[in-house]
Amino acid sequence: MPFREKSAWIMTLALLLGGFVYFRAAGVPWSESDELASPEIPMMLAYAGILVAVAVAGHIISAALAPKDAHAPVDERERQIFNRAGHYSSFVTGFGVVISLGFYILSSSGDLLFYSVFASLLAGQIAEYALQILFYRTSI
Amino acid sequence: MGRKIPITNRVRELREQHGGMTQAQLGEAIGVTRQTVIAIEQNRYSPSLESAFRIARLFGVGLEDVFSWNE
Repeated sequence: MPFREKSAWIMTLALLLGGFVYFRAAGVPWSESDELASPEIPMMLAYAGILVAVAVAGHIISAALAPKDAHAPVDERERQIFNRAGHYSSFVTGFGVVISLGFYILSSSGDLLFYSVFASLLAGQIAEYALQILFYRTSI
Repeated sequence: MGRKIPITNRVRELREQHGGMTQAQLGEAIGVTRQTVIAIEQNRYSPSLESAFRIARLFGVGLEDVFSWNE
């Protein structure tokens, strides 16, 4: 598996884990009894900490296992993969933000707007890495 | 996504004819990764014109001796 595909797997895992912990801590209603907490800096720091820790540890291990691959420059196919994945994932982010704005119009909740935009950014990033993995494994 | 590429190639065959050059060696010679060479050989990726010329020049053949249009 190419180093950058491994990197996409690591980032997908880090984003999923960080996102789950963040939204769990935020109390985003998994059930009707849960209440939505206002966004706070410590929650953001915890999210960033998880993301950085998983990403750094994952990349160090991955690079140690295949140092030559890790140092190889991005080639023409990988550039196409990244460009296409970035292009399609931008639709996910954009769609999520538009839906978030709709939520805001209906609910007038700034907290909900924050969380839904944050979730859209997260979904867009996850989609980008997932598409990179897909394009690495199929023809582009 | 996953579309069938209408360009076939003889990269693997030419590589084997040239002293069993490895995919990594070919990749290094033309400036792409081993995974990209694998993708080219498996018809999952059409290389850029520049890389196609580099491959042909490396094997000392014409472009059409390496790549062909196959609908």
